[in-house]
Amino acid sequence: MSADTDLISRAAGGDASAFQALVERHRTMVYRVAYQFAGNHHDAEDIAQEVFIKVYRSLDQFRQDAQLTSWMYRIVMNACIDHRRRYRPGTNAAAGDEAEYRMLNAPEETPGPEDQAYATEIGEVLQLEIGRLPKGQRIVFVMRHYQGMKLCEIAAALGLAEGTVKRQLHAAVHRLREALSQVRVTAGGRA
Amino acid sequence: MTCERHTSGDLDLYFYDELPSGEREDLGRHLSGCEDCRAALDELHAIRAALASRPDVAAPASGDWSQFMSRLESAVARERSKSPRVLSLVAQPRRRYVEYVAIAALLALVTFSVTLAFRARHVPSPPRAAGSAQHSVPATTKDNSAFAAMSEEHFERSKLVVLGLATKDAAHETPADWEYERELATSLLDDTRLYRLAAEDRGLDALAGVMKDLELVLLQTSLTDAKDPSALPQLQRLIKRRDLIEKMDVVTTTGL
Repeated sequence: MSADTDLISRAAGGDASAFQALVERHRTMVYRVAYQFAGNHHDAEDIAQEVFIKVYRSLDQFRQDAQLTSWMYRIVMNACIDHRRRYRPGTNAAAGDEAEYRMLNAPEETPGPEDQAYATEIGEVLQLEIGRLPKGQRIVFVMRHYQGMKLCEIAAALGLAEGTVKRQLHAAVHRLREALSQVRVTAGGRA
Repeated sequence: MTCERHTSGDLDLYFYDELPSGEREDLGRHLSGCEDCRAALDELHAIRAALASRPDVAAPASGDWSQFMSRLESAVARERSKSPRVLSLVAQPRRRYVEYVAIAALLALVTFSVTLAFRARHVPSPPRAAGSAQHSVPATTKDNSAFAAMSEEHFERSKLVVLGLATKDAAHETPADWEYERELATSLLDDTRLYRLAAEDRGLDALAGVMKDLELVLLQTSLTDAKDPSALPQLQRLIKRRDLIEKMDVVTTTGL
């Protein structure tokens, strides 16, 4: 039995110190993903809190033979999506023949011009653009680009078809590429 | 003109090493002769380099986890008070309704298991696929009975959403009229995913399929903007297109 499964087993039995140790082992990973998704500390902290509360609620459901990281990633991804939904209602998800594709494509609010004024460096511009991506594209991009998860793993965790995830990634990359072109034009080819 | 290998998304998959080896080699050869794709690949490298230059943020702003941990501890304490995990050495006073609910759940489970056992004896087996084990009994029969009972309960709760949405008059409903369904859909979504995954693990493909459809409808419901006048009709079409009510009825009336 690995250290993680031992901790989960003990935490599921009510051992508070085991749950705390579990959080301490994984909070950095969770916070990193949450920040990459949210782009700010306030939301990242809320998401990370939600993740560990969900972990606590789901301790009984963790299968000892399952991969803890996959299980944790699944909770993190869903928490990211749920967080946006809870705190920024009013998206325009539409049903249709490709509902699976569209459901994660609800556009976010566009940031004000003051946000853009501060985005002078390419990295910053791209980071801002990631923050503007629809949440489905954003979580797929974050998990693929930063976390190195395979598209099939992301698809399994989100309960989507792999083709849908590929389209999400392509759409995200396309938008980042456009943002890169914009900043290169603005900077006169400096980048 | 933009090369279609670039617009199809193949280049992204190449960049992220997600192409099968044959296609990867093929695209590699294509890149040597396609300036458009090479430029696009350069952009991807530029994006990677630019994002890599961003600070790696993996802790709260202060760098101190103590506030985070104490906030989490409070939240977990609230969770614990709702459903204690520990059987304390000192007996906790229990509320009577909890006992009643537990007894009712146990009775429902026993009744359902007996019903399933009765059906297993008296209902002809469904046709099996050629080559399947004709006489083998799944090792998880007992687990599946309990799982079936839980799934049925879950379907009953979910029906409140699905039937609620399907029977509304889309032309005259206001957003507030289906706020209840939206909230309930949100609260049921995580459990639905867990049930689907559990059904997949148990090889209960038909049940997993219905759970997947249900999950899609719940997700769509919880994400949809209720103020959008086209939202309710779209959800109703989705429920109809997936035959969700009929499928849920079949599962709950015939069991697994």
